[in-house]
Amino acid sequence: MNHELRCYREDAQAWLAEHAPRYSGQARHGLSFDDDLALARAWQAHKVEHGYGCITLPREYGGAGESELKKVIFCEEEMHYDLPLVYFGISLNNPLPIFLRYAPQAWKQKLGPATVRGELIWCQLFSEPSAGSDLASLRLKAVPTEGGWLLSGQKVWTSWAQIADWGVVVARTDASLPKHAGLTYFFLDMRSKGITVQPIRRLGEEKDLNEVFFDEVFVADEQRLGEVNGGFKVAVETLMIERYAVTDESGYGPTLENFIDLASKARLNGSPALADGEVRARIAETYVERQGLRAIHRRALEAFARGQEPGPEGAIRKLLLGRTRQNLAAMALDLLGANGAQLAAHGHSVNDFARAWLDPSLRIAGGTDELLLNTLAERVLGLPQDHRPDKGVPFNALAK
Amino acid sequence: MHFTQNLEDEQFRQEVRAFIQANLPTDLAERNHRGYHPLREDIRQWTKILNRHGLSGGNWPKQWGGTGWSPVRQFIFDEECLFAGAPPVDTAGFKMIGPVIMTFGSEAMKAEYGPRILNGDVYWGQGFSEPNAGSDLGSLSTRAVCDGDEYVINGRKIWTSFVETAEMIFVLVKTDPEARQRGISMMLVDREAPGVTIRPIHDIGESHSLNEVFFDDVRIPASNLVGEEGKGWTYAKFLLENERAFSAEWPRNNANLARLRTFLNVEQADGQRLIDRAGFAPRLAQLETDLLALRWLSLRALHEKAGGQSRLPMGSLLKIRGSELLQKIGDLQVEALGCYASYVYPDPLANAAVEKAWAPGPDYAPGIMADYFYRRATTIYGGANEVQRTIIARSFLEL
Amino acid sequence: MQADHAEDLASIREQARRLLVDQATPEHLKNLLNAPGSFDQALWRHAVEQGWPSVAMPEQVGGLALGWSGLAVICEELGRLTGALPLIANALTAHAVISAGISGHQQLLEDLTSGALTAALALADPSDSGICSPGAAKESNGRIDGVKALAAFAAVADVALVHGVNERGDGLYLVHLDQPSVKRQVLEGFDNARAAAALQFEQTEAVYLGGAELVSEISSLAALATAFEQLGGTHACLDMACDYARERRAFGQAIGGFQGIKHKLAEIYCLLEIARGCAADALDAWQQQRPDKQQLTCAARIAATRAYNLAAQENLHVHGGMGVTWEAMPHHYYRRARSLALELGSVAYWRERLLTDLGLESTTVEVGGSA
Repeated sequence: MNHELRCYREDAQAWLAEHAPRYSGQARHGLSFDDDLALARAWQAHKVEHGYGCITLPREYGGAGESELKKVIFCEEEMHYDLPLVYFGISLNNPLPIFLRYAPQAWKQKLGPATVRGELIWCQLFSEPSAGSDLASLRLKAVPTEGGWLLSGQKVWTSWAQIADWGVVVARTDASLPKHAGLTYFFLDMRSKGITVQPIRRLGEEKDLNEVFFDEVFVADEQRLGEVNGGFKVAVETLMIERYAVTDESGYGPTLENFIDLASKARLNGSPALADGEVRARIAETYVERQGLRAIHRRALEAFARGQEPGPEGAIRKLLLGRTRQNLAAMALDLLGANGAQLAAHGHSVNDFARAWLDPSLRIAGGTDELLLNTLAERVLGLPQDHRPDKGVPFNALAK
Repeated sequence: MHFTQNLEDEQFRQEVRAFIQANLPTDLAERNHRGYHPLREDIRQWTKILNRHGLSGGNWPKQWGGTGWSPVRQFIFDEECLFAGAPPVDTAGFKMIGPVIMTFGSEAMKAEYGPRILNGDVYWGQGFSEPNAGSDLGSLSTRAVCDGDEYVINGRKIWTSFVETAEMIFVLVKTDPEARQRGISMMLVDREAPGVTIRPIHDIGESHSLNEVFFDDVRIPASNLVGEEGKGWTYAKFLLENERAFSAEWPRNNANLARLRTFLNVEQADGQRLIDRAGFAPRLAQLETDLLALRWLSLRALHEKAGGQSRLPMGSLLKIRGSELLQKIGDLQVEALGCYASYVYPDPLANAAVEKAWAPGPDYAPGIMADYFYRRATTIYGGANEVQRTIIARSFLEL
Repeated sequence: MQADHAEDLASIREQARRLLVDQATPEHLKNLLNAPGSFDQALWRHAVEQGWPSVAMPEQVGGLALGWSGLAVICEELGRLTGALPLIANALTAHAVISAGISGHQQLLEDLTSGALTAALALADPSDSGICSPGAAKESNGRIDGVKALAAFAAVADVALVHGVNERGDGLYLVHLDQPSVKRQVLEGFDNARAAAALQFEQTEAVYLGGAELVSEISSLAALATAFEQLGGTHACLDMACDYARERRAFGQAIGGFQGIKHKLAEIYCLLEIARGCAADALDAWQQQRPDKQQLTCAARIAATRAYNLAAQENLHVHGGMGVTWEAMPHHYYRRARSLALELGSVAYWRERLLTDLGLESTTVEVGGSA
């Protein structure tokens, strides 16, 4: 890693050490949802002031106009603090950049800076009950009307829709074309008439997911991003914006050290749990995997710094961490014995094994394990694609 | 479901044990306790002993020499035999083609082959797979053309086990090349018939059990057609389902795990037993659990088969669980051997040139490595495990 | 840090790959497997001509001083084709003698560097699946008695590094194998191409090189270099399995299109990448003499062993019936994966070593008794 980047990292570390504590850890303890959200907005605005909010976005909208690599470095450092970042995880990383890439100038001026500062939050309306991994089979339809479109249908798994001011949405505009070819991409005001947001209750009571219903919601044609029937390309671009996403090395679950700590206090069959072969094997396996992933990450960053495109590192990482988080948590609960069934009231998945175990969504959201394996097998190993009976068939001719 | 063993069954087990003790030659038992392939001579000898007592036919129909035992008793019998070190009777004859002939063959065919199989006088090779039709058996291309009261066979079969010492081969052939599965027929071919050529395939276990068989204008009497023309696929499925039920290999798994259990308990040079070292106990426990599950699954399969009311693709379940358990037991055996697993131990009893003293390591070592290599094939043969999983997904889970 | 070496390493890799593809033909490899104790003399001659034994050796004994990364590159290429040469043993024997700082071995060091002599590492004991319970070979007054388990190249090597014990504890010894008191036992093994032999000593002259610390360093470095050999093998298995899965057709399509096959192969790819990451990091750690070098080496060893074992096993399986034939190549890797896993101690052994290094020694956790 070159000198400039090393300095950047050191500066970021120093800055975070000074500013982050006021927005993390103790500062968040016992906050209500609304207060935590307010703190999150304040942190985002504070970062923007110091050139750390939206590092890769253009300066004219409040970004820092810096490289993706610097953003990766800052995120890595920022992750060491328990900061309220989740509400902006989607907003700033996917809808906003794509909006700034495609929207008319006046709209960009109007919404861009406020979004960057955290005053506005965006959601991403992609998945539907019948379109998860297979996004292109979505059904929410957009019918042309005077000056724009009327959207009707249902979206699901929409993160933070309940607090979102704006959203990006993919809709079907021509069902007589094959599934990928009849989609169009829009942005819209989440307070438009005809939108209903319904929260989805989750296993661990996380408050992120929603269903969103559209009942003849009017969207002006100037809010279209990309061509009519060219929406799939924009959707894929949205998902690919972050060419290298930084993720926590414990998959946002408790760390290996947390596990060792727990195991060193636990007893099993009358002996210390740490003397048990299975426990020891799990510790070693997790260590080895983490070590391998760290090395992969470091090498990917080096390649990135040399100007190479990121490879399949992200897919490997997500695949392995999703499982490890779930398995390690399950073993931790085993070691707690019957008391492991308790659920602490204010626990959070990053430090509570029961919460981490209750939320295996890392293996589902953003590409299921199966999809990731397919990606690796097809893109890296050059194996044939799955059988796709819907290929090239008009959407309205497919079996429902 | 009632397939628990009652008191009478336990009594039966005692009788079986007594029978084996009285009749199983000790040299034969000693040879078969090791991991090597049983010698053909040993199989023949044991089969004749069983037949003399009217016991070789097992679950065959009573009129064709079967014992009339319940499935549970048959299971107990097999279990005790293998555990005591008896060689298994010829699978291809007793468990594969035998039941097909008894179920679908003509009376003449039953009369001709039944007694010879029961007495160990005829051994069989299985001619199903072809170079381009393995797991996908439906695409086989060996051809049989009717010519008067004969069929003329041309083609090539592969992975034909032990055919070099067999008298007969049962083959799947295309009698109608236009049709896929409905163009398949099953026929019995004399291995000595002109035009049959056998080429051994050298396998990784360094034994020569596998072969290719070439059919070059081989003529067989039309009466060697099993059942009807075009029904071969049905018979093959019947046969494979039997083979899979058998490939749970419960008795072999049982014997192998018992062996593993014994040597994990042996004190090592440092005074510790392997079972006391971190790592061995949980894995042994897992294998024990798998073995018990396999036992009940096997019993349940037999029970359901007798009642004719199986909802499950039992053959596939048994094949997957049994074959993978054999490999897992093998893996742990090899790990337990440590560096002694580096050696390949020629069977000292089958090979007079090899002196016993020559082999390093503990006395339980011989046979393990030979078995370890040989058992790689278990997840491949009889329909690869991927195919079995597809069958379960399709037929039971309705995917 | 090795930017200046990067070009040298790339050209060594290129050269090694070409030579191995040329020499390690299937027929040649099968001949080696056929006879117990086989040593690939022809390949060794070529390797010596190309200067491979000198790659990691320091300049003062005539080496190229490319460090462990030079050795790693060649090991990876060797692993790719299941070649077997005593490069690791030669390099580590020289390293141990130099570390010991004893004089009078300049000729030996030069001969190990040029490849005029070959070495073997006799670390494992017959009674243990690890490599660090050396009770079976005992030294006193410069003489060693006892046995060592099957060690690669011991059938042909001129010298061996022997892990033994004396009254002070663990010791690493230099033993010349041409002494009449040394018995080499060559037996039929499942991987005959590694010139392996068990060793027996009776009042054999042995030079003490160092204690437990040196044993630990040498076994770590051996594991590290071997991890690269395992990586090469894993990669070759994955390539082979993918090629076959793209070609072989069943049920109307290439079998690589079935998720049962393609997901299996993608899983192996993940293990390979994890192993590669661990090995590369451990190598860096040794080159910079970082304090975590031991634990990273344990991780590299465990990851590489797991990856190679699974890749070799599943490559054989994906080949179906062909996989269990002598004629096809998968069994070469299946054998090699297992013999490399055995020679330097099992995963269970390295796992304990890792945990000990992390401060979680199993003997320090009290077993049974009161809490």
